[in-house]
Amino acid sequence: MNVRESVSHEQAVELLPWLVNDSLGAQEQEAVRAHAKSCVICRRELLDLEETRDSIVSASDSAMIPEPDMRNINARIDALIDRQNRGRELLSRLREVFDSPWRIAFAAQTVFLIVLAGVLFWPEPRSVEFTTLSETQNLAEGQYIRVVFSPDLQQPQINTLLDAHALTIVDGPSMRGVYTLGFANTNIDDGTLLSSLQANSNVLFAEPVVIGAE
Amino acid sequence: MAQSRAGQSAREAKEGDELALLNRVRRGDRGAFSELYRLYHPRLYGYLRRMLPNPASVEEVLDDVMLVVWKDARKYRGDAVVSSWIFGIAYRKALTNMRTESRYQAPLVHGTDANTVAAVSSKHDEWIRAALIQLSPDHRQVVELTYYGGFSYREIAKIADCPVNTVKTRMFHARRRLKVLLPLLAGQKKEHSRERA
Repeated sequence: MNVRESVSHEQAVELLPWLVNDSLGAQEQEAVRAHAKSCVICRRELLDLEETRDSIVSASDSAMIPEPDMRNINARIDALIDRQNRGRELLSRLREVFDSPWRIAFAAQTVFLIVLAGVLFWPEPRSVEFTTLSETQNLAEGQYIRVVFSPDLQQPQINTLLDAHALTIVDGPSMRGVYTLGFANTNIDDGTLLSSLQANSNVLFAEPVVIGAE
Repeated sequence: MAQSRAGQSAREAKEGDELALLNRVRRGDRGAFSELYRLYHPRLYGYLRRMLPNPASVEEVLDDVMLVVWKDARKYRGDAVVSSWIFGIAYRKALTNMRTESRYQAPLVHGTDANTVAAVSSKHDEWIRAALIQLSPDHRQVVELTYYGGFSYREIAKIADCPVNTVKTRMFHARRRLKVLLPLLAGQKKEHSRERA
């Protein structure tokens, strides 16, 4: 606010609390006082405000203010300084390590070599393929036999049975226990092999299958 | 007028001393900080005790304020006097505390019931405190900083980080409210003492 010689009533009313607490600038103070001299409302208001101020100030004077106890704040500052010192210590150690350009160059070179070695010699991740038992392997075109053995049949017995018929497992068992068997030097067309398998009580199912042929 | 000028120069000398203290604090001088703490303790204590709803947190908030003074002394740019800067910190800490406390507690006296106020306040300072509690936090801050802190409206604007006209408006409303409240409370208080007698 620019106060030159006089203030309006509204301005003076607004500024009265700060006339009362003696914080107005010299010019403002002079102008408000001059207005109050000639204004009954402002004079009354000034008296009211002085009374309010006295009430507040006397209330604050009579209030018990304890002696300052700096133990807590000192402990907090100590902790703060400790933290700052630890940070500075770490920083100065780092500076000590890298105090000469040769050391910085050596460190940079070492880091570079480590990264380079990593790039060159790090084993490439193998692409691991996962297959389920139900998936059919890529079988060569030809004739095969699909077989389901009795669940009571153990692996050694299966092997004996397969050896007896000159059969090999080429795929399976699937989720449903189906084996795909390959055979050599045997002609499936005469039906001997199939009949023999189907006659075996440990074979629940045996049927020929042709893969790849239309 | 001469008295006012003398007051002004005394104030300036005090500000100079405080600035010198703060400059030493800025350089990490614990002795200077201790001096500053002791200098501001009564003012801040009185201010915070009337501002905060829970008197038990006054010392804690006061220490929070002074810890900021210690940490941020380097950030003091000198665009406000030292007392305005410190009270600005106290103002913000008080507001934060008031908001936090109001979430968990009902205010000591709520609403405008002067009977309730007078009933809970038999001592003079409690009576004034009860009247000030009736004001909104922003209005109360302006009254406190003016009458108790002795700050100018420009300094209060800096402390509260708001325009000068906002300070004047807040004071205007606070005055109107106190004008109603204080005589009412005074009347209640007189009746109360008469009944006791």
